[in-house]
Amino acid sequence: MTGSVDSSSTTPAAGEASVALNDVCLSFGDRPVLNRVTCSFPTGAVSVLMGGSGTGKSTTLRVIAGLVAPNSGSVRVAGREIVGLREFELATTREQLGMLFQNGALLDSMTVFDNIALPLRERTDYSEEKIRSEVHQRIEAVGLADVDDLLPGELSGGMLKRVALARAIVLDPAILLCDEPFSGLDPPNVLRIEALLVRLSKQLGLTVIITSHHVESSRRMGEHVTLLFPEESLSGTTAELDALGDPRVAEFLGAAPV
Amino acid sequence: MMRERVTHLGAVAANRIEAVGSMTRFGGLILAAVARPPMRLNSLVREIYDTGVLSLAIILTSGLAVGMVLGLQGYNTLVRFGAESSLGAVVGLTLIRELGPVLTGLLVTGRAGSAATAEIGAMVATEQMDGLRLMSIDPIHFVIMPKAIALMIVMPLLSALFIVLSIAGGYLVGVQLLGLDGGAYLSSLENNVSFADDIVGSLLKSWIFGALVGLIATYRGYMAARNAAGVSRATTSTVVTASVCILLFDYVITALWGV
Amino acid sequence: MQANSTRDFVVGLFVVTGLAAVSYLSIQVGGLSYTGPGGLVLTGSFDEIGGLSVRAPVTIAGVKVGRVDSIGLDDDLRATVAIDVDAALELPIDTAAGIRTAGLLGDQFIALEPGAEDELLVTGDELEFTESALNLDKLIGAVVHGGIGGD
Repeated sequence: MTGSVDSSSTTPAAGEASVALNDVCLSFGDRPVLNRVTCSFPTGAVSVLMGGSGTGKSTTLRVIAGLVAPNSGSVRVAGREIVGLREFELATTREQLGMLFQNGALLDSMTVFDNIALPLRERTDYSEEKIRSEVHQRIEAVGLADVDDLLPGELSGGMLKRVALARAIVLDPAILLCDEPFSGLDPPNVLRIEALLVRLSKQLGLTVIITSHHVESSRRMGEHVTLLFPEESLSGTTAELDALGDPRVAEFLGAAPV
Repeated sequence: MMRERVTHLGAVAANRIEAVGSMTRFGGLILAAVARPPMRLNSLVREIYDTGVLSLAIILTSGLAVGMVLGLQGYNTLVRFGAESSLGAVVGLTLIRELGPVLTGLLVTGRAGSAATAEIGAMVATEQMDGLRLMSIDPIHFVIMPKAIALMIVMPLLSALFIVLSIAGGYLVGVQLLGLDGGAYLSSLENNVSFADDIVGSLLKSWIFGALVGLIATYRGYMAARNAAGVSRATTSTVVTASVCILLFDYVITALWGV
Repeated sequence: MQANSTRDFVVGLFVVTGLAAVSYLSIQVGGLSYTGPGGLVLTGSFDEIGGLSVRAPVTIAGVKVGRVDSIGLDDDLRATVAIDVDAALELPIDTAAGIRTAGLLGDQFIALEPGAEDELLVTGDELEFTESALNLDKLIGAVVHGGIGGD
């Protein structure tokens, strides 16, 4: 936990899901993107959010992160209602959040080390030695080494995602949001990133919410799956969803394994 | 048909006015960011390098060239009235009052202004701004403010360098090429330029132009659509908007200040 | 952003060069000067000040010794000009002030011609002898109508 912040006010009550959306509607102009979405993501589990293109998977993550405000509905993150909060009021909630963006969203002009160190330098008053140790710890945790002085432009796809992941967890958040973490990766890298996310979730007790198109990894890693359709959403474990016998489930999760 | 045209014009005008309001508010956010710590000196130095130092080549070359042309044209015109010994004053006053600030403004807009818009727009398109917000870092404080302030600082300096180079260019042509007396050139210049009336106004103009480019370039970049086409549009828009604003404000300042 | 000492140096060099250009333009070209101590404030009344403006130079024998502080109208509706000159100057009380033009069409300034008396002027004194600005229109009119004759 960051040394200088009291986060007790934003821990969810026992049994309450880390993240819960209720009746959330969002339109961009006259284009509806989220239509009365209601779902929740259990604490400490790896949840996968799936749905066709344009059904608002990425938008849902952005709503959870407070980057975009819904037109109506309620969004509770880490025990706090975030709809209606101003940008600076979201800071305490964002301390609980880490986000892995689809293309990493690292700052191009800064080295890997400086990118991962940025949240520490801006949000804590740690000494440079402490920052160095924290950063290297995270770099090791995501399975990288000797990347300190590289620039984001010099990183391969897999390395980029890991560095972005290291930055996302450097402040020890409780919730990790990943937008299409497997996009643009070859199959071996998909497996590596998947294993990494599962391991981090177990080791650090993170609530992980990822958006994905990948059927196999969703089945493997998704303890909780939410399918977003234009009119409604279905949630549950993969077993529960298979049992529904709904043809749309098969479209996204493939046929139930025999 | 006519009615549609008029309605469309009205919509365009309303759009422009809304953009001005939005830009003013953006400017307010930048000023508020200046007042807040931390100082971001490293960023500021980097931005001064990117906007100022990297613009030196074009500013110095253009300055020399413009000065030489002014020297030539000025001489050709003045010699008809037997007043060629006033060349120094003519070149100097034209540059100090108008051409220095305005041409520097336009050149910096094209080089540094468009680069700033492209860089910021690219950051918006690749979600780097969102990343900053997620880390509770204000993108305006972190990225926009150093760029805008750097442009304000750099503009008067570049303008002064442009003017000095131009005066030198006029000297080269007038004295070395056309045989004027060097002393006459310089004393004509020095006797007819006044700090209070001419230099102050010139510096003020270029400072205001710097603020304009700083605001417009960063605003357009920040508001760019999140794709390559959007960034490209934003960059073009910066050059056009900033150039027109510089020319308009030049008139207003000249009329008000009497520079 | 990491600090980069080469870049810092280059930026510093740029700023210094830019400021040097500004200084050159201001001081050498623009004539901005550290105005001397000043301190001796005198006034004078003129029928006509022509194009004289505040901050115009005040000279003795062509050397700048001060400047015009303010210009106004007195009760007799004559122009009253206040000048601020170097306090170290010893100016007799019959010193004259005349408004001259620099060159043929240049700016106007005040030229002081020291008198011969022993008593000196102090701050607040009024200059008794003043010479108004030449009005070019009147001069030309006079020549045209034969007022100033001769060749």
